[in-house]
This record gives sequence, C-alpha cells and structure tokens, in this order.
Amino acid sequence: MPRHRDEDDDEMEPDEDEYDPDQGLDDVDDEEEEEEEEDRGGRRSSQKRRRSSFIDDVAEEDDEEEEEDYEDEDYGAYRGGGGGGGSRKKSKKKPSGADFLDLEAVVDSDEEEEEDEGEDDFIDSGADIPEEGDGRRMHHRPLMDDQEQEDVEALERRIQARYAKQHHTEDTEETTDVDQQALLPSVLDPKLWMVKCAIGKEREVAACLMQKYIDKPELNIRSVIALDHLKNYIYVEAEKEAHVREACKGLRNIFTQKIALVPIREMTDVLSVESKAIDISRDTWVRMKIGIYKGDLAKVVDVDNVRQRVTVKLIPRIDLQALANKLEGREVVKKKAFVPPPRFMNIDEARELHIRVERKRDPMTGDYFENIEKMMFKDGFLYKIVSMKSISTQNIHPTFDELEKFRKPGENGEGDVASLSTLFSNRKKGHFVKGDAVIVIKGDLKNLKGRVEKVEEGTVHIRPDMKDLPKTLAINEKELCKYFEPGNHVKVVSGTQEGATGMVVKVDQHVLIILSDTTKEHLRVFADDVVESSEVTSGITKIGDYELHDLVLLDNNSFGVIIRVETEACQVLKGVPERPEVALVKLREIKCKIEKKLSVQDCFKNTISVKDVVRVVEGPSKGKQGPVEHIYRGVLFIYDRHHIEHAGFICVKSHSCRVVGGSRANGDRNGDSYSRFDHLRAPPLIPQSPRRFPRGGPPNNFGGRNRGGRGHDGLVGTTVKIRQGAYKGYRGRVVEVKGTSVRVELESQMKVVTVDRTCISDNVAITTPYRDTSSYGMGSQTPIHPSRTPLHPYMTPMRDAGATPIHDGMRTPMRDRAWNPYAPMSPARDSWEEGNPGSWGSSPQYQPGSPPSRTYEAPTPGSGWANTPGGNYSEAGTPRDSTGYANAPSPYLPSTPGGQPMTPNSASYLPGTPGGQPMTPGTGGLDMMSPVIGGDNEGPWFMPDILVNVRNSGEETTGIVREVLLDGSCRVALGSGGNGDTVTVLPNEMEVVVPRKNDKIKIMGGSLRGATGKLIGVDGTDGIVKVDDTLDVKILDLAILSKLGQS
Amino acid sequence: MKSAAQPAQIPTSFGNELRACLRCRLVKTYDQFRENGCENCPFFKMDEDSDLVNEGTTPNFNGIISVMDPDKSWAAKWLRISRFVPGCYTLAVSEALSEDLQNICEDEHVQYVPPKRV
Repeated sequence: MPRHRDEDDDEMEPDEDEYDPDQGLDDVDDEEEEEEEEDRGGRRSSQKRRRSSFIDDVAEEDDEEEEEDYEDEDYGAYRGGGGGGGSRKKSKKKPSGADFLDLEAVVDSDEEEEEDEGEDDFIDSGADIPEEGDGRRMHHRPLMDDQEQEDVEALERRIQARYAKQHHTEDTEETTDVDQQALLPSVLDPKLWMVKCAIGKEREVAACLMQKYIDKPELNIRSVIALDHLKNYIYVEAEKEAHVREACKGLRNIFTQKIALVPIREMTDVLSVESKAIDISRDTWVRMKIGIYKGDLAKVVDVDNVRQRVTVKLIPRIDLQALANKLEGREVVKKKAFVPPPRFMNIDEARELHIRVERKRDPMTGDYFENIEKMMFKDGFLYKIVSMKSISTQNIHPTFDELEKFRKPGENGEGDVASLSTLFSNRKKGHFVKGDAVIVIKGDLKNLKGRVEKVEEGTVHIRPDMKDLPKTLAINEKELCKYFEPGNHVKVVSGTQEGATGMVVKVDQHVLIILSDTTKEHLRVFADDVVESSEVTSGITKIGDYELHDLVLLDNNSFGVIIRVETEACQVLKGVPERPEVALVKLREIKCKIEKKLSVQDCFKNTISVKDVVRVVEGPSKGKQGPVEHIYRGVLFIYDRHHIEHAGFICVKSHSCRVVGGSRANGDRNGDSYSRFDHLRAPPLIPQSPRRFPRGGPPNNFGGRNRGGRGHDGLVGTTVKIRQGAYKGYRGRVVEVKGTSVRVELESQMKVVTVDRTCISDNVAITTPYRDTSSYGMGSQTPIHPSRTPLHPYMTPMRDAGATPIHDGMRTPMRDRAWNPYAPMSPARDSWEEGNPGSWGSSPQYQPGSPPSRTYEAPTPGSGWANTPGGNYSEAGTPRDSTGYANAPSPYLPSTPGGQPMTPNSASYLPGTPGGQPMTPGTGGLDMMSPVIGGDNEGPWFMPDILVNVRNSGEETTGIVREVLLDGSCRVALGSGGNGDTVTVLPNEMEVVVPRKNDKIKIMGGSLRGATGKLIGVDGTDGIVKVDDTLDVKILDLAILSKLGQS
Repeated sequence: MKSAAQPAQIPTSFGNELRACLRCRLVKTYDQFRENGCENCPFFKMDEDSDLVNEGTTPNFNGIISVMDPDKSWAAKWLRISRFVPGCYTLAVSEALSEDLQNICEDEHVQYVPPKRV
C-alpha cells in the first residue's frame, strides 16, 4: 500500500488503481490461488517450487533489476500494476513479494521467510482484507491480460522486480527485524557526521538546515538528526564532510570546527531510540527528576497520555509543622536547604496541628483521598500529578530498602509482585538459563514451580514440577521469578552485595535472606540477583589496597578494622572501645593501612602482642575472649568467632583485658634471643598448657603455642623418668603421646625413644628444672597463683608424683640436682611447697619476697614455666631465661636473692664448663646449657670436687670429679677420698651424690654455681645451705647441690 | 522518485506545541497540522477537524530528523520514512494511532505499524 501512497506523492496519480472498477470481494484465498496459478501459468504446481523459481529468476536477473525497477514502477503506475502488487501482497501469496524482499536482504533461513509470510498475512487479514481483495483483484485482471499478451517470463521478471521494489517501499512501514537487517548501512550509503551545535538548539538547528535545503536544494546533505538525549550535537547525513560544512555555513548555532565521522557500525545506534519510547504504565517504578522529591522512588498510579501527565505515589516529604504555620499565616521560615525526610503522612497528626484535612472522592477512580492544601494523600502516601518529563523511567533499580519502605504495613505482597514487573524489565539478557529453578508469579499458573528448559526472547519454556501438566510450558519471562529454597547455597551476582555467597535461610517471595559465608550476617537480596552456586567466597574482600580485616587509618584520624567490604565502600569498626561504632567508609576516606606491630599491656601489665589470646575483663564486652588481631593506640581489636556482630571483631581498651595463657610474644619481647634461638624455642610453651587446660582455653591457643601441634596431652612436654625397660632410670621430656605409648626425648642421649606409658613415672616434674621454674617463674608468679587456683589441682598430683622419687630414693633427685644449673638460685622451699599440696597454705612464705617481682613475673609466665624443659635440655628454656634476666633483672633480683649473683654466677660457672663455653653464642644462661648443644654431655652438671657415684661395669664406686672434660666426661678420682685411680667417666655412668644434712656441698647450678657451703638442713627437696664465702643461708634445690668430695 | 516532492512544512517553533503525526511521524506545530494537515497522511483530514489533530498527532516523541532527501538518505530508509515527503520527522513516537484512525488507514490501504513497545 505504501506503494499507492508513493505513487500518489510522486506521480500525483493517486487513486487510479485503487478506485478502479470494483470487483466483488471474493474469497481472498481463492483469489490468490487463482492468481498464482495464473501468474505462473500453471507451470509451477507447488508454492514452494514457485517461490524457489522466483528466487532463481531474481538471481539471474540481478543485473537488470535496476532497470526493471524503473520500468516496473512506471508500469505499475500506468497499468495499475502497483495496485496489483498491493493486492498480491495482501494475499497469502503475497509472500512471494516478501520472499523477494528476503532474497534481497540475503535472508537465507526458511523460518524467517515463513515468519514474514505469517506477519504479512496477519496484517493483511487483520487490517484490510476486504479492500485488499478488491485492489488485488483489480490488478490481477490486468496482469492476466498482460500475461497473455506478453512473454510470460518477461512479465514475471517485471512483477518480481516490482515486488522487490515495492517491498522496499513497504519497509518504510513494516519493521520486522529481518527487514531492518536489510537496511543496515553499507559503504555506499551516506555517512553520518557529528557536528557540534549550540546547546538546546539541536532541534532548531535541524529545522533550520531543512529550511535551508528547501531554499537551496543544491545542498548535498540528506538528513539532519537531533537526538533528545544528546545535547550539544547534531548528526548530519551526507556523502562528504565538505557537504556538511557547506550546509552548515552561515548558521550561527552550528560549530563546524570539529566534524566527526560516525563509524558505519555505530550508525544504527544513533537512530536506535525506539526503545527509549516512554513506556509508562501503572505500577511502574519511576524516579522523580526535580523538586524536593528529586531522586525519590515513586510508583505510577495513573497515566494521562494526552496531557502528558502521570499520577505518582510517593512517600511524602512534608514538614507538618511548617505546613501548619503556613496555613495559619504565621511567618514562614523559608529554608531551602532543608528537605524534610520522607515519612508517611499521618492524618491525625495533621489534624492535631489544626491543618484542614478534607476527605474527597476521586471522581475517576472512586477512591477517597485526604486532601491537604491541594495535596492528595492516601494510606500515608502522597499522590502527585506530575509531568511525564519530570520523572525518569529508564533503568530504575529500586533498592531493597526503598521497596521495603514503600510497602506499607498491612499491604500484602500482592501489590509488590505486580510492581516487580519493573524490576524484571531491567533484567539483563540471559537472566534465565536452562536448569534454573523458577516460580511463576503472575497469571493462572501463579506459584507453579519448574525448571527452565529453553529460553527464547521474552519467553521461557519451563518444565513444571507438577505432574499432569504438559511437559513444557511457555511463559513470559516477566511472569517468572527465580526460585530458591532455604538451604540453597547461592552467589549474589548483582546489586550492592555482589560477589557474596551464602546460604539461603529464608525465602520471602522474591526476596531471599542469605546467611553470608564471610560475615555471617544476614543479607537481604532479590532472588533475581542471585544464582545457585556452591562457590564459597567471601564476597569482595578487597577494596583498593585494603582487605577485609585490615586495620586502617581514616581521614579524621580515627581508625578501625574493615569488617565488611561492599562494592564501593567498606564498613569499619572504629577504634572506640566504649561502644561498637561502625562507619561506612568510602575508599578515598581511608588514609592508609596500619601495619605496626605494637604491644601493649593488659590490666596486669602483661604484655599483649598481636595474636595473643586475651579475655576482656571489664566493659561492655566483658567475658569475650579471642586472639588480638590489631593493636593501635592502646586499643585492641579482638577477634572472637563467637561474636556475631561486626564480623567477630571486638574493640576494647588494652587495660580492660587480660592475657590468657601468657603472651606468645615473649619471644618478640625478648627480641634477639627469640629470633636467635628460634629453633631452640619449641617447648617453652608446654608448661603453659597445664594452666590452659583447666581453663578450657580456646583451642586456637594451642595452635600457635604448642608448636607443631603436638598432642594436647598434659603429659607432653613434661619431664618424666622411665621406670622400666631398657631405658630404666633415664629421664626425658615427653614429646608425644600416642595411645598408651609415649615418646620421650632422653636428656642424656639426645634421642627419642618410645616407651610404654605405664613405664614412666609421671612427672619427675619435681625435677630440678621445675624447682627452678618456681624460683623464677612460680616464685615470682606467686601473687598470681591464688587467683589461678585451677592451676593447682593440676599441679598437685604432678608434684606428688614427682615428689615421690625424691623421697624414695635420694639418688635420683641427687642427680637431678647435679644437672640443674639453676639450682642454687631457687629457694628449695619453693619447690617443696609446690610439690606438697598441703603446703600451699604456707606459700605466702615466699610470697613476701615476690611482690616486687610482679612486674617481672607478669611477662614471664611463659618463660618461667618454660624453664622446665629448659632444665631438661629443652634448649629453648635457657635462652628464655637468660633473656628474662636481661630484661627484667631488677625486679627479679629482690625476690630471689639467689639470683643476684646470677651474672657472676654464670660467669663462675663458665670456667667450670669449658666444654660449654665455646659453644654458647650468647647469654650466660645459655652457656650453662651449651654442653647440651655440644652433644651428649652432662658435663656442665658436674663440677670439679664433687662426689659422684660411678657405675662402672655394674659396680658402683664413689669418686671425686677432678676435671670436667670438653666432651662432658669427667676425670674422676675413684674412692670416697679421691685416692683411687683417676679414670675418665662418661656422664651417663655417674651420678652426683646427694648430700645429707651437714655435708659439705658444692652448688652446681644457679647464680651461686661453683660456690661451696654446708647443708644445714633438708626440707623436702630443698636444702638449706650456708654458703661458705658469704655465710649467707640459702634455700636451694637439693638437685643442684652435690656433696663435696673430701680430698 | 526525484526529490521533486514538495517538502512538508517546517516547524516554526520548537516549544511544547510541536507534535508528531502518529502514522508518518512528521513533526510540525499544532497550528501547522491544524491548518494544513499532514502532508503524508491527507486522508486524516486534520486540516478539516482540529480534533483530529489531537487524535492523530502526539507531543510525545523522541528526537528529530530533518530529511532533505528521503530517497538517498540512509537514515530515512532505516527509519522507514524514505517514502514520505522531505521534512522534519521524529525518530520515534511512543503512542499508537487510535482505532478510528487505524480504520481510516485500512480504508486508504495504507499500512500502519504501531510503534514497537519494549
């Protein structure tokens, strides 16, 4: 039909064809058939064949086509051929025309052809069948005549060509995608040039150019395009840039300095504004563009297309008080800057303020509205009539919160679902993929669940879960929503929570509540925004250079830990101990990351370092406990995984905390030694465990401390004596407990043996080292003990057991003493008392001495205990102690007078242990141990002039050590008086003779090492010694005392 | 098909009074439509009844294209307005013709394709 029009326009011979003799309306189909047959001269029997032959023809006659076109045109014009074409087109056969078109468009799929046909048919039948019938008929008759007169082939050709042409004409009005494809710009088409123009004058400029062209038709421009959404530019269609310049010359609103060519591929984009056609319908979500509601979400309730107005529903931003003032004529303070927050209108409130509220019925809808000052309210919402131009309808993505707000209590989900259509219209392509679980949310099949089988544009084929339904159903995409069930593990793929994963815990229509994997928080997301996924990510854990859980310094000099990362901002738990304060911080507000390794003191002045486990003892977070993650400005960030808020972080003052189980950072504190003897350090922690066990400290305590994750058995790390078997009599440190067997690292042999658990005497613990410990650690710790009652129950049995050997056979202990370099330092009482549960009550005895050492003790809990293994060759003990001395000598000294001469002592010791000395790189403390490092050498325990029992080939004789050799063995003069032969004895072949009361003794360990004296009394495992030189009376562990040989 | 065709009227102002013909998308002012009708769609007879102007045109359109040479312009072809007279058109209208006018189109054997709704 366009054809007609064209003819009208061009040839001014408009109606000839159409109004030709009217034929009666025959049945269209019949007509068509008839025609076709006629056309083809019956040569082609089947439609298909006909068509294909057409195609062939066209192909053949490609060259001629243009000419033909021309001809045809004319032909049509005067013959009424155009009309004929029209009629044909309308008829079913008309597909032939369409086919042509397709052909030309190089459309190759049959399907498409069919579609075209279908559409043509549809249009025809729907619109103008009757009339068409006439037209067509009319035309055909003449055609027939022609046919008869002319060569059939030629006629056909012409018809084809004409149809082809016609089709083009038709293009102008018919927009199937296929046709449109045919129109894609080619290199032969004019180009588009982008030209700058005055802002706001785009349309005007376009019209001006049009006018100019009318005035000067020699201008070589084809068209000018002014887009509403592109300010400051117009497009000019022309063959050459020069043409554009020429046309624009003299127009003051056009600036031709820069003329940009639009790439051929983008040309269609310029004109693709169809989609922008305003499509406002009820229940569409829109946003206000201007006024105080700017940016606010609104819902369209009515559309007046004629007046270009829309009624929207908003959450009012009305300052009732101000309104009341205004109504009462009081002065109105105009504060432009102030925009009242959105709040539902409360009519009663308004009435209280004497604002006149009228209740009116809307004549159109029949709904009642409360009218205040020409504003209409209903259900608290403001109903506002606005111009379509003042709202934006594109790409509206209501956030979850907004929708939530919009849903008034009482309003059930129905309305919501309806408005979901807007949400859905913003879906990306490929939203649904095969296999997705979906639920129908609209229509008769509402709530039907199924799986996506196939997705076509706009239509999704689903396989319903329910039986008795067809295998697949085609459902409009917009009526479908993804469906999840609680327990599904999903990943958020869009929105603010993008990237997060979690488990669906609740499904509320299209809203899912997800338990995030990282933050353990509940996230509310649209079902549309998530996909099922087994992936577990933390979501985004990085923002800029910062990562989740980093400590960062913020702009205003505050600081905090990043506890959640969103797309463009992160949540920071600020370093304010009084209350948890969380701030949403943009990346640019973060100054830097704080990576300092600091340590602070807890309420007992214990040092807290990062990773130490602390317990909060006061304040709002009292009772929480966990490892310290960050320390800054006296504030700790503790990670308590049982703490649900703030990603488990708690912010507290360091003074409100107490270190649990000792600071791991002892080493840190002790700097050098820690690093230097790192490899030696292993066991120090063990002694701590007893403390922790009863407390049930978090297991993660151990991870770090019990290095290597040795068994958690309390036995591990303790010193035991083997009672039976091949290694009977050996002592060692338990390194591992495996079922009923125990792996013991022998002290004397530097090897690890496995023995039955029953074959060890639990805790020789009383062993000197322990005593030592107590003298350093325990002693000084005393003040703590009372409060750490749980400790004792554990220790008690240990002591008991340990004590036994001492009392039973003095020999063993003797040896212990002999080994213990520290013995002199430890008041024997300590150990005795510890060993004797009954004596706890009397511990105050030494406590008085300790208080001054508090400061020392606080940091030492670890090191104190760590001695134990140290004493037992556990290398680390020593360095620790030594550092202990180094760091806190003064407070320490008063409490243990024995310790005072420590330095000289170790010095004095050194000469005695020549073997050790060279080996010891560092502190005196270590020196004592050095022989251990040197090898199997007990040398240091032995000293010249002490009385030993030598086991030689089964016999036991006493002797006096004359000399300690480098390798740890001793030259011993046999005989109690040292009169016998002098032999070289290996350390493991001899034992120190335990002194008895009134024996002359030599002190083998501790600060007094090397000194002689007299044992004036024995108290349990402690000896009371009167030191020769100073005549001081010391209480020392028997283990470090040996009988002096009377030579 | 020479550009012999008489060009349509050119809009004389660019304010709210601009309207576009719902069928051919020709853009003119309301008054122009009222006085002279639509050059492409004379059968609407807008010049005879100003109510028909309201019915057959819309102020709600999107973008303007001045087509100087409909035959040679690719843009006109793409927009399927290459068969209309030269003049100012719009790229897209968002409304469809009323049924009455659609019927007129039928009667006139002119095809009418409603705008695509997205």
